[in-house]
Amino acid sequence: MSDSNIQIQQKPSESFWKGVWKQFVKNKLALYSFRFIIALVFIAVFADFIANEKPLIAKYKGEIIFPVFKEYIIDLGLSEWPEDFQNAEWRRIEFDWAVFPLVPYLPKNIDFANAQSVGPFDEQRIESLRWKHWLGTDELGHDVLSGMIHGTRIALLVGLVSMSIAAFIGILLGSIAGYFGDTKLQMSRIRVILNLVVLPFAFFYAFGTRTYILQDALSSSFFSFLAQLFVSIVIMGAILFVLNYLIVPRLKSVKAFSKKVSIPVDILISRLIEVMVSIPTLFLIISIIAIAKPSIFIVMAVIGLTSWTGIARFIRAELLRVRSLEYIEAANALGYSEFRTILRHAIPNALSPVLIAIAFGIASAILTESTLSFIGIGVPPETMTWGSLLSSARQSTAAWWLAIFPGFAIFLTVTVYNLVGEGLTDALDPRLKK
Amino acid sequence: MLKYILKRIIIFIPTLIVISLLTFVISINAPGDPVDTMLNKTSGGDGQASQKLATEKAYIALRHKLGLDLPVFYFSFTNSAVADTLYKIPKANHRKTLERLAHNYGVWKNVSDYYQDIHEFEMALLFTERDSLNSEGLRTVRDYVNTLYDLYEESKILNIFSNLDFTFSQTKGLEKVQPYYKALKNAFVRMQTEKNPIAKYIPAFHWYGFNNQYHRWLFGDKPWLSSLPGVDDSNVQYTSKGFLRGDFGISYQDKRPVASVIWDAMRWTFILSTLSIILAYFIAIPLGVTSAVKKGTTTERTITTVLFILYSLPSFWIATMLITFFCGGDYFDWFPAFGLGSLPESAPFWDRFIETAYHMILPLFCLTYSSFAFISRQMRGGMLSVLGQDYIRTARAKGLDEKKVIWKHAFRNSLIPIITLFASVFPLAISGSFVIEIIFSIPGMGKTTLEALVARNYPIVFTVMLLTAILTLIGNLVADVLYAVVDPRISFNKKGTS
Repeated sequence: MSDSNIQIQQKPSESFWKGVWKQFVKNKLALYSFRFIIALVFIAVFADFIANEKPLIAKYKGEIIFPVFKEYIIDLGLSEWPEDFQNAEWRRIEFDWAVFPLVPYLPKNIDFANAQSVGPFDEQRIESLRWKHWLGTDELGHDVLSGMIHGTRIALLVGLVSMSIAAFIGILLGSIAGYFGDTKLQMSRIRVILNLVVLPFAFFYAFGTRTYILQDALSSSFFSFLAQLFVSIVIMGAILFVLNYLIVPRLKSVKAFSKKVSIPVDILISRLIEVMVSIPTLFLIISIIAIAKPSIFIVMAVIGLTSWTGIARFIRAELLRVRSLEYIEAANALGYSEFRTILRHAIPNALSPVLIAIAFGIASAILTESTLSFIGIGVPPETMTWGSLLSSARQSTAAWWLAIFPGFAIFLTVTVYNLVGEGLTDALDPRLKK
Repeated sequence: MLKYILKRIIIFIPTLIVISLLTFVISINAPGDPVDTMLNKTSGGDGQASQKLATEKAYIALRHKLGLDLPVFYFSFTNSAVADTLYKIPKANHRKTLERLAHNYGVWKNVSDYYQDIHEFEMALLFTERDSLNSEGLRTVRDYVNTLYDLYEESKILNIFSNLDFTFSQTKGLEKVQPYYKALKNAFVRMQTEKNPIAKYIPAFHWYGFNNQYHRWLFGDKPWLSSLPGVDDSNVQYTSKGFLRGDFGISYQDKRPVASVIWDAMRWTFILSTLSIILAYFIAIPLGVTSAVKKGTTTERTITTVLFILYSLPSFWIATMLITFFCGGDYFDWFPAFGLGSLPESAPFWDRFIETAYHMILPLFCLTYSSFAFISRQMRGGMLSVLGQDYIRTARAKGLDEKKVIWKHAFRNSLIPIITLFASVFPLAISGSFVIEIIFSIPGMGKTTLEALVARNYPIVFTVMLLTAILTLIGNLVADVLYAVVDPRISFNKKGTS
């Protein structure tokens, strides 16, 4: 049964996405934008190989080495630099021969000879054209092109991470609100009461007693914080699991307890969305970031946590429509669990507006992050982003290259995501087909 | 209609509570001690006893005046290791250390004894006469004792103790304070031996009542009856009227009332955003209508493309470029880059007006272009969908001239999407354009808020945040009501309009 079932399901959905792609390709601008994003992803992934102070491949004392690769291994803690390379200036090391990357600088490298903002057409004090700063340098002598290449990574990461968080929360809450509405989610009285009583205690044991563990983890590194946060969530989940699957079923046999009450999830979640929308997002982000330690991951998390409302609204509206369709009734009649019906049957058919919202959301997340790093909030000073590069133009007003290039990168990336969003809108909305 | 508005206003209440709670939670977790900021002092390890005592007294008095010696919230839900009276400890960093110690050792009485002993030891050291023999040692001991206030890790505390032991063995003339040191060490040992590791796993709930920081911040401690008009409130004692009655607290930096700081800043933001909104609407609406009416022509395509590009240009980039190229530097020196002019208040009005207007051209441009691009696109969309309707065809068919069809029949109905945008005008007036004000150094809301944020002047930040939220809510309501006015098909009295 299951095999044939899957086939029946997948066939139409595959052709649906094929159709969308066909429609999307017709919009040339959107297609080029999409290709441009792929190119950006390529630059972001291989940034270390495109712009780096270390050679890609070199011969040193008769041995062939791959310093850029080795760096990854060292970052993983599996190896160490040999004596000669520790704290060395890579350009000055006497290799037998060496192939340097396209841009032989890291964003953090300071070229003292070309400090105080040297432009691309100014005379640069360099040994050969190989070492030229193609897009100039900033006040301290950082290479702008290298900063922009490595900044791609942060820009794309911000879009990806924050929108993943936003999509997760938005789809979860939006589908619950839309699918169940105010009347469809019914629970026995005892389950509601016990959950309400136990929730504060679950929170206490998962987070209250672990406050200091979480705090210390956050001040050491973001990833250890994530690990500890995961432990906390597991504890909370375990407590609620024990309650709902081991304790409640036993108590349900008492008749007075088992009476069903419906939970108005739609009202609750809609109210929550209204609250989130009326909070000035930029202020909220800025005040949260101001009290936390500067970290690009916190910026991403906060942007994600504040921008899920659009997605939730879309998916709620879609599911309100979808839930009364016959195939959902059929799924219910077949006895599928509510979870399966939502996840496998309802959500996939409501995804198209979400996809559009995500494309636009990435654009605005990138814009928000670059605004924040432009005014110097949230991003640690040693991290080079497009926004922080652009803000260095404010110190040296004569340096047109600092004003133009990073800003243009922000503009182009934001526009390209917006264009893809528009292309998706046209491709996914059959009413707009011309 | 009235019923609908009333219903919406009632719904505001939970929303406002949530936002105020969120704001409050962020504000009490904010780093830095507001009392220290206002006193402009940090308590050092050294100093005259009388001076130190005076500082401490001033600290406690100011803390009381700001209402920071109250419990934080109506209730607390912590573990049984921490006492419910922790809020009475004056310094924030001491409270933090005590909480950690209680968490580690589990018996509040011992932790509190240990804290008392540090304090007594510190006092004893302060009253020890300094002489040539103990001068050096006394200073070291005082410094060590001061660091004890921040330490909660056993190894670090023991390390301080061994350092203290060493200093005591080296220095003569400190015999008087030895008993205090012994008591402190004993208290520490007691804390260690009588450990209760379970206490932190036992939840504890305390109810503090209405006299707490949150309640006072929002509602104030002045009786509401005394605020009624005609009631003589001259001899009512209170520290704050509360946020809801317009008392936003005191700015930590210049000690001015927050309301007056915000009022000063709001003037500029208000002028800027009102002008830019008016300008944007004046340019956007005809442009949007034209591009919709002339659909398919070159004019339309040019307008649409230009609008799209303008819409996607980040305004902070344009602002940076304008400053680079048009405000001195190495290129054109056409406009001033910063501020609003430096003419004194006494200068003739028109001179000042022209000076200010001259300074406002670039910021106004940056604020306007993005919003007018956005509004035009909306206008175009609205107009396009209306032009496809049957009644437009009917109007044309009965021979009305094109101008009349567009401006009388289509235009009014295409205004609906534009009205929603009006809702965003309200919050804009207060939060302003954050980045533009910062770039052009205009002393408006954005700049004031950022400066307050950097200086950890939280009363301003949180007032702005809450006010903006309230204005957004009002803006949404106004938009909904306007909807009904413009489009008679929309009715709020029917059921199921959520």
